Amino acid sequence: MNEWLVAAVVLASLLPPLAVACSRLEPMEGVVALELAGVIAPVALLLMAEGFHRQPFADLALVLAFLSFAGSLAYARFLERRL
Amino acid sequence: MRDIVVVALLVSGVACILLSCAGVLAMPGVYDRLHFTSASTLGAAAIGAAVTVRESFSLIGNKALLLAVFFLVSSPVLVHVTARAARIREHGAWRLRPEELEVEEP
Repeated sequence: MNEWLVAAVVLASLLPPLAVACSRLEPMEGVVALELAGVIAPVALLLMAEGFHRQPFADLALVLAFLSFAGSLAYARFLERRL
Repeated sequence: MRDIVVVALLVSGVACILLSCAGVLAMPGVYDRLHFTSASTLGAAAIGAAVTVRESFSLIGNKALLLAVFFLVSSPVLVHVTARAARIREHGAWRLRPEELEVEEP
């Protein structure tokens, strides 16, 4: 296991606590945790792409970053008035 | 020399994200938590820079750079939208009320 994969494992281990925070906290605070997870997950995928020397994981990281940005915007706008 | 720079960027990036996550989990309230999401962007940029320094401007290096730039651009937008949504949720209006504009005299 090289240093990239170690870093990826460290970052991936942060995702379960953020998922618990999303489910337990107030909705807006959960959105903040979701936004942070939207940064951590693509970076972990990028580190895996570098660690395994697999290009497609980097594409996946880019797609995930764009989609999580759009999803967080949608959640914030939705929670603004409707919930 | 390049390996030292790569490891330094990688370690600092992971440390930034760890601190950011600890802050988001520990702080009370949505505004306090929002402050700590910015540090994660810095960490993501450092990790993207580490990949780019190691791979130069290859395919994966360019993607890492693009990812870092995207996070640096999108994070302030996301923080603003979330803070705005939290304020509207609490007070029902985005703009400051007249009494909030008044400056208290010492």
